[in-house]
Amino acid sequence: MPEDKQIQKYLPLTEATYYIMLALDEPLHGYGVMQKVKQTSEGMVDVGPGTLYGAFSTLQEGGLIRMVKKEDRRKVYALTSKGMQVLRGQIQRLQIMTKLGSDFLSRLG
Amino acid sequence: MNAMEKKTLRRLKWFFAWQDDQEEEWLRDMARKGWHLSALGLPGFYTFTHGEPQDVVYRLDFTTPKIDMDEYMQLFRDAGWEHLGSLAGWQYFRKPADVEGANQIYTDPESKIQRYRRLLGYLTLFLPIMIVLFTRIGDPSSVPFFSVMKLFSAVVLIFFAYAMVRILMRINQLRRR
Repeated sequence: MPEDKQIQKYLPLTEATYYIMLALDEPLHGYGVMQKVKQTSEGMVDVGPGTLYGAFSTLQEGGLIRMVKKEDRRKVYALTSKGMQVLRGQIQRLQIMTKLGSDFLSRLG
Repeated sequence: MNAMEKKTLRRLKWFFAWQDDQEEEWLRDMARKGWHLSALGLPGFYTFTHGEPQDVVYRLDFTTPKIDMDEYMQLFRDAGWEHLGSLAGWQYFRKPADVEGANQIYTDPESKIQRYRRLLGYLTLFLPIMIVLFTRIGDPSSVPFFSVMKLFSAVVLIFFAYAMVRILMRINQLRRR
């Protein structure tokens, strides 16, 4: 249970944080994350540098991501196993939501 | 070296910490008229250089000393933002409006709230100093100098509290969105 609490306290993720964490399934630096989020969200989510810097600090402090290397001044981050668990928790939540949503739509016919 | 001497303009204008949106908008208006911010002096002092009128977006960020400046600046540069300078923890950035990428440095209300929280935390650090100053400054009945100082520190303290209330109001405003 205490371990579960460690995960639950991060949920739900904001939309931006969700996309940022998904992007880090491969090691990436900040600019790479910005581009990937824009692309994977089909242009729905744009992450500004202020938002991204804040997300990186919070996620790193929580141990959800970690720096794997430094390329000049760019830090390259990757998801940790704790981050993976949080992401899994978020995805479960989203699955419930979309299931409810599609049930609702099919009832409307 | 430019052969032609550039026209500069110095302006004195005061914005409070909770008026960053207004400050950004004012700088953008100046750029539309061809006046581009070139230097930041003391708080409230702005120097502009004349050039082609251009639609340039200005953004202000508030940072605390624990920030990793190299990483932070690189992120902004990569996203197309030019850093103009910093003033009392405020970072000034600009980007031509037509350059690709978001015109915001904070792209969701949550992270913008975080920024105001940092600012609030920073102000909270100074509050005890203000209070000590206020309570410790001499007996008002003794010397006129002390009563002036007492009044002055009272004004500073009240202003400080007011600033914090205004920032909290900004946070609430963002939360309701």
